[in-house]
Parts: sequence; C-alpha cells; structure tokens
Amino acid sequence: METGGFHGYRKLPNTTAGLKLSVSDMNMRQQVASSDHSAATGEENECTVREQDRFMPIANVIRIMRKILPPHAKISDDAKETIQECVSEYISFITGEANERCQREQRKTITAEDVLWAMSKLGFDDYIEPLTMYLHRYRELEGDRTSMRGEPLGKRTVEYATLGVATAFVPPPYHHHNGYFGAAMPMGTYVREAPPNTASSHHHHHHHHHHARGISNAHEPNARSI
Amino acid sequence: MRQAGAYSGLLCGGVSGRTGPHSLPLARIKKIMKNSGEDVKMISGEAPIIFSKACELFIEELTRRSWIMAIQGKRRTLHKEDLASAVIATDIFDFLITLVSSSESHAVGGATNVMEVETIDCS
Repeated sequence: METGGFHGYRKLPNTTAGLKLSVSDMNMRQQVASSDHSAATGEENECTVREQDRFMPIANVIRIMRKILPPHAKISDDAKETIQECVSEYISFITGEANERCQREQRKTITAEDVLWAMSKLGFDDYIEPLTMYLHRYRELEGDRTSMRGEPLGKRTVEYATLGVATAFVPPPYHHHNGYFGAAMPMGTYVREAPPNTASSHHHHHHHHHHARGISNAHEPNARSI
Repeated sequence: MRQAGAYSGLLCGGVSGRTGPHSLPLARIKKIMKNSGEDVKMISGEAPIIFSKACELFIEELTRRSWIMAIQGKRRTLHKEDLASAVIATDIFDFLITLVSSSESHAVGGATNVMEVETIDCS
C-alpha cells in the first residue's frame, strides 16, 4: 500500500549559488527600472481604485435627472459623465469638511450630524431642513423595525408612506379556505354552481372572514387598508 | 413565514431588484467617502443614508440650473457646457470649477479676448 500519502522528505540538489545570482540580477534590473520609470509607478499606485467605484451608477444618476427635466429633453454623454464626476466631487468635498471637524474634536467616526454640519458650513443650507426631516423619519422607522422584531407577525403594521414608499406592490392577503390556497379566477370564466348546502356553508365562511377583518381594521386606525 | 421588511424591493417597488428606498447605492457612497482622504477612518451607518438623499438634491439642483442654461441657448439637449455655465453662475458650486473648467476654458477665453478688444477700442 505505497500508492498515496506522505512518504518522507526528499533532499533536493543544492542550487543556492544559482538562486543568489538570479536574485541579485533581479535586484539590479529593478533598480534600473525604478530609476527610469519612477513617475509611471507612482501613477499606477494612484489608479488602484476602479473606475466603477469612483462614480455613482450612471443609470441612477440619469433617473434623478429625468425627474427634473421635461420629457422632450435629452442629455449628452459628456453631460452624463460630468454630472457623475460632480456627484463624487460633492461627496468628497463634504466628507473632507466633516472629517476635519471629527479630527478637531478627536473623534474617529464621521456621523450624520457631521455631514449636515459640513453642508451647512459649505453653503448648502437649503439641504439641511429636508435632510434633517429625512434622517428623523429614517430613525423613527428604524426604531419601529427594531421594536417589531420581538412582536408576532399578526401585530406588525408598518406605515410605508412615511418614507415615501410606494404601496401598490403590496400583495393582497390570501385567506385560507378549507385547505385551498386559491388565487383569483381569471375574468370571463364560468364557474359551475355548487349544490345549495355547500354553497351556503362557503358563503357563511367567507362572510365570517370579512367580518373578522373589518373588526381588526376598526381597532387599528393606523393600519393601512389593502 | 417571513414578511418583507419596510426596505425590501417588494414593498417599495425597487427598480431592477434593488432593495430599499434609497435611489443611490449606499456601498458606493461609502467607497467614495473612504477614497476622499486617507485620514477618513470610520463612517457611521447613517452618513451614507444622508448622502444618498443629499446627492439626489444636488443632482436635481445642478440639473435644474443646467437646463435653464440650455433653454437660454435655445437647445433641448443638455451638454457639458451647460453644466459648466451653471457651476460658474452658482457660488456654492465653486468647488466644481476646476472639474468643469476644461470644457469652458475656450468659451471663457474667447469672451475675455472680446472684452479686451472692446476696452482697447474705447480707450
């Protein structure tokens, strides 16, 4: 059974001299290269950040621009690139000022308050009020989310309108009907009438569900009706 | 059964599978903040969220001002020159002048030359 596994060390031939020669040769070449191309290596080190990480995604930026521009307006490619650069410059500009404040106060973490202070100092006073409101609403929602984690699912009612979130995408609540998870019937289809006794029981069951749901909505005025 | 959270794409109709109501990606904002200086050490979780909204306001304002410049030039296409004109005309955008000056340098240079000629003629 000598086929696999470790069978001891095998002594390699001594190649130290050749290794020393190659290393010294490499060092000499490196010195020559560094003396000739020192500027080029400096530029390469600066460009370690990828292009896609330096700027905001162009699709997101254009989407925001389209909200302001009229429908017939067009945006040239150079304008798209420029506004991408402007956004990155804006972030760096504000961050630099916020970071200076942190250093003065001997803190290591840039907070939202530092960012708001920097914006106020650098002339973006018009942004302070909407951003403060936005931060306040975000904190409220975060507080609600953390408090909801311990509650059962039935009690969770989130007001999605607080952050301007669209509510059209919320799926309707499907009710359990005798073990059948039924989706809505397509329009224009004909359903055979059931016998009278089963139909009445189904109708009663359905009515009970709606009644219970109406009571729950009455008790929760803030709950969003779907 | 898990319910979708307040920030999930299902509830806010997130575009192209993105989650959350933020129109700009927070991770990218954080990277740009980190790259703004070597001495930027730590960033709180709320700072990129604030920047997400602030950048939205910034893009809207810069676009609005640039579009006014395009309208004045009787054009329906927004060009880099319109952005440059908007930056030059607005005090709070002074930090962007070096960024946009390359495109505007020819136009500004031409204008100053004309002014010099006019003053020489007047004297």
